[in-house]
Amino acid sequence: MLQQVFTASIELLINKVLALNTEKIDLKKLEQKTLSIFLSELKFPISLTINANKILVSGLTENVDCTVKTSIKTLQVLKAEQQLTELIKQNKLDLTGDIKVAQQFMQLAESLNIDWQSELASHIGDVPTHKLMQLGKRVAGKLQFASKQIKADASEYLVHEQRLVVTRSELEAFNQQVSQVSKHVDNISTRLDALTKGYSNT
Amino acid sequence: MPAQQQNQSPKQPEPSSDNTTHFGYKTIDKEDKVPMVAGVFHSVAKQYDVMNDLMSFGIHRLWKRFTIDASGVRPGNSVLDLAGGTGDLTAKFSQLVGKDGKVVLADINSSMLNVGRDKLRDKGLVQNIKYVQANAQYLPFEDNTFDIVTIAFGLRNVTDQDMALRSIYRVLKPGGRLLILEFSKPEHELLNKAYDFYSFNILPKMGELVAKDGDSYQYLAESIRMHPNQETLKSMMDNAGFEQTSFKNLTGGVVALHKGYKF
Repeated sequence: MLQQVFTASIELLINKVLALNTEKIDLKKLEQKTLSIFLSELKFPISLTINANKILVSGLTENVDCTVKTSIKTLQVLKAEQQLTELIKQNKLDLTGDIKVAQQFMQLAESLNIDWQSELASHIGDVPTHKLMQLGKRVAGKLQFASKQIKADASEYLVHEQRLVVTRSELEAFNQQVSQVSKHVDNISTRLDALTKGYSNT
Repeated sequence: MPAQQQNQSPKQPEPSSDNTTHFGYKTIDKEDKVPMVAGVFHSVAKQYDVMNDLMSFGIHRLWKRFTIDASGVRPGNSVLDLAGGTGDLTAKFSQLVGKDGKVVLADINSSMLNVGRDKLRDKGLVQNIKYVQANAQYLPFEDNTFDIVTIAFGLRNVTDQDMALRSIYRVLKPGGRLLILEFSKPEHELLNKAYDFYSFNILPKMGELVAKDGDSYQYLAESIRMHPNQETLKSMMDNAGFEQTSFKNLTGGVVALHKGYKF
């Protein structure tokens, strides 16, 4: 029943997020439409049905309006409607049914605009929110810096100190040398063929 | 019921004579079962949802979600939620069938029906729901009326279950399906023993504490043990005329979802 736990949680989350949107979203265009998503990372489908300005999440797959098969990675880059056809061409997304339904669901996702700061302020007050946001920004900045620093240090250690990994230029030089050796071998092989032919003719 | 007897391993219904049936572990006249079951549900109706959450640790919501997912319901369908009680399944079905569809919440017990109606109205679900007080054995609907019939945790309270299954078969449209969500027999012996201990020692005390009615929850535990096991219920569905019958155990067989089609 993992699927049911998952769909129940997603349903709760999506509707909370919809309720927090700064402008009221009109879902009438999608009323009773169902989009079924099969993610390669999950063993079960997720079907989204619009009813009375709410999104119902279920595992229903029969008679849905549109079915999308893709991966979480592709979903993350799927931001503009135009990308749909591009991703289908690249075989990263498989779509069956009414493409308009998928497009309208994408528009819905794009139109989400939540003012997290004012939402938080309504619960804990303006000053604590301001302080919390500042702290969040500082922590995020430090984490970003620390992540960059760790990457640089690790690279320095592996490439220059332990010499476990070669640099890009060393790799390119090695590849070039391999190509040259390959060319030489080809030339020698051609010359040997010619000599062998000449010898057998005499 | 003495405690020693209560903790016996689950019983299976023994063939009863034409005029008798079971009420928990008691054998009673068939005509007495309806008022006795009614008494149980009149008593617990107001606390029914709270008790369901408490007793199942909220898992009943997942069992019901599983039932919805297995129903294949679609916009425009007619659904009968039989023994629908406080309307958990009806609420979801109502949203999924949309304004072109129809859901009938039927229950033999007026108290349960009233609680269900109030709950659904409070949720704003009014457009496509009808309420009918009905006995599952004598469904007051024309032949071939519904695309889907569900009965969740209700069949074991029905006096003549075979008759109820035949009645359901009659009101289903050809191609329609029946889903029975009901307590069943746990698959593993260890789980069975733990479940027995919980049902007979903890559950009635919880009922006493929350719903102020330990006897009703004692009946619940006994009626679960007297209910046919997975295979027996499947063959009862076959006998009633259902085809492609199957069942899926949930939570180790504590609950099973039976499914069958009318063709």
